[in-house]
Amino acid sequence: MIKALTLLNDKRVRDWIYQIALVVALVGLTVFFVRNASENMVKAGIASGFDFLWRNSGIDVPFVLTDYTRASPIIDLFWVGVVNTLLVTAVALVLATALGFIVGIARLSSHWLLSTIAGAYIEFVRNIPLLFFVLFWYFGVIAALPAPRDSVNVFGVAFLNNRGLTIPLPDAPANFRWALAAILLSWLAHALVSVWARRRKDRTGQDAPMLAIGLVLIVIVPALAATWASLATRWDIPVLRGFNYRGGFVIIPEFVALLAALVTYTAGFIAEIVRGGIQAVPHGQVEAASALGLRPGRILRLVTIPQALRVMIPPLTNQYLNVLKNSSFGAAIAYPDVVSLFMGSALNNTGQAIEIIAMTLAVYLVIGLAVSAFMNWYNARIALVTR
Amino acid sequence: MKTMILTAAATVAMGASLASAQQLAPSPTLDAIKARGHIECGVHLGLPGFSFADDKGEWTGLDVDYCKALAAAVLGDAKKVKFTPTSVQQRWPILQSGQVDLLSRNSTITFSRNASLGLNFQGINFYEGQTFIVRKATNAKSAADLDGASVCVAAGSTEEKNASDWFLERNLKVTITNFQKNDDAIAAYDAGRCDAYTAGVGALAGQRAKLKVPGDHVILTQPISNDPQGPVTRWGDERWQLVVRWVLNGTIAAEMLGVTSANVDQMKASSKNSEVRRLLGAEGNFGATMGLSNDWMYNAIKQVGNYGESFERTVGMGSGLKLERGQNQLWTKGGLLFTPPFQ
Repeated sequence: MIKALTLLNDKRVRDWIYQIALVVALVGLTVFFVRNASENMVKAGIASGFDFLWRNSGIDVPFVLTDYTRASPIIDLFWVGVVNTLLVTAVALVLATALGFIVGIARLSSHWLLSTIAGAYIEFVRNIPLLFFVLFWYFGVIAALPAPRDSVNVFGVAFLNNRGLTIPLPDAPANFRWALAAILLSWLAHALVSVWARRRKDRTGQDAPMLAIGLVLIVIVPALAATWASLATRWDIPVLRGFNYRGGFVIIPEFVALLAALVTYTAGFIAEIVRGGIQAVPHGQVEAASALGLRPGRILRLVTIPQALRVMIPPLTNQYLNVLKNSSFGAAIAYPDVVSLFMGSALNNTGQAIEIIAMTLAVYLVIGLAVSAFMNWYNARIALVTR
Repeated sequence: MKTMILTAAATVAMGASLASAQQLAPSPTLDAIKARGHIECGVHLGLPGFSFADDKGEWTGLDVDYCKALAAAVLGDAKKVKFTPTSVQQRWPILQSGQVDLLSRNSTITFSRNASLGLNFQGINFYEGQTFIVRKATNAKSAADLDGASVCVAAGSTEEKNASDWFLERNLKVTITNFQKNDDAIAAYDAGRCDAYTAGVGALAGQRAKLKVPGDHVILTQPISNDPQGPVTRWGDERWQLVVRWVLNGTIAAEMLGVTSANVDQMKASSKNSEVRRLLGAEGNFGATMGLSNDWMYNAIKQVGNYGESFERTVGMGSGLKLERGQNQLWTKGGLLFTPPFQ
């Protein structure tokens, strides 16, 4: 007894007790909430549990990249939504970063017109709600495109109208799998060759002809593989019948509109981050570099950008996470993302709000954490190494 | 002897407690309504003829009228009702979580909503049939002509599934595009995104007015489904469900019995029909049985009118929608409406 009491005088023991008590309380609270909710739901006659995921979905989706059909279970509908969310997020990230860099650098330009236009764009974008952008692009895109009968004909194989861009689809994808494997192998080879070339340069000071190697491995081999695959495959070419083109794959206008909205909106914010990052590099660095005889292009590439990136990465991570979360605005214009499909159609058909909302939250959480983890890793990699 | 005294005492006590207050099943919903002084009624976001707020914020429509009649029956005043507009996706959670006392928003009765969402449909106040609106230029005469078309629809509605099932069964291919709200789907249809928009005949009659040029569009006459719609409550609280069910029955019975807002005073005073007398509280204690005042249906009919009056004013010939009674006529006149007797 006495011994136990003296143990309490030890700060480490006390800390442990507090920690354990906190964990027990948290677990207890969670268990209480879950049990309370499920008991009340049973009382209110609301179905619960995750069985519904294996029930037939019966929901038609106009934009599917997996092998989902309306006869598939609801869990497949969920994956369709996740894939569509990832697709629009990934493409928007790349394009928004590119556009943001261009606008941000234009903002710093000494050319008056260029920097004023960039400045006006940034101010305009940052002061307008995203929903407006989404609807503006959506009705803009639909209004700008012709009806199916007057489609824009792209070489007789692809057709653009207000139902989307209908593109041909290969009948058998096997050839494309081989082509994809060849492309990935050739890119891997390029990565290995460049590592070898850098080591050799460190050792002997000799340059390898990396430009030529890169051209062959990154451009020519993949181009050949893709050409071979598309020539060796029979294509399902869309034809106009009745209301619209039949066959092929349709890139829906909702995707284009949401993508355009996310890119133009986020680019405004990224541009400011880029400008801030570049301006954060002390001017003395640039002067020192030019005193050493570096040319402006190399100063930008070797001195300014590496230091600017360190400032830019953390706020850029925030913007990337915003793109992911903002992609849920697609629900406003019928883009079949996870919110629209799973929290819209599936929730209404099954009524299992708690499970469905929890799963949707988990999707955003997992993707968001993955994006942050990648950005943190990248940030650590480019961080200033002090010796 | 002791036993006898005890038994007598118990009997007296039992009698006294029975006499002191009429025993009613507990009803938390009714108690809450009486305490707060108004009914919380969930309605559609904006569907002309059914639930629609004008520029002064006054709600009108068939579904709105039902809630007003309910307020008149429960609280004696048809104005004591607060309307909460709900989207297709919000409606069930709002009802399940107790934010509204009931939904009256042209929602279709289905098995799974009844069986696994914890919802009870308390009767039918509108027999709806789903159809399509298309541009006149498409020359489509029936839904079967829509092969290959794009159809705009509200996600999670019965229309979404009806349309999908109907075309699948007939081996026709349509592209269904799901919007969050009916209004979004209509706007996209109007902008040319879809060849057709689908909803009920009654709903479309009102929604048509939202199009830029309503005259360029035509509503296909053949419905592809039968969608009975009516007020919805959550599971539990039987007495509240009883009230919701019988106020609806009461408005239909009133039309059946020829009781209108104009003649309700005279009918109550001098009708020789005992069902009329029971309905209006001149005889029996039907209102009190449910914990309401005995003139519950008198108030509802006096202030809002019977079902037929409400129908004509909101969606029928007295409104902009000009819908025929059709299936929503009394069964005695060739329709489907009927009510169990007030006996």
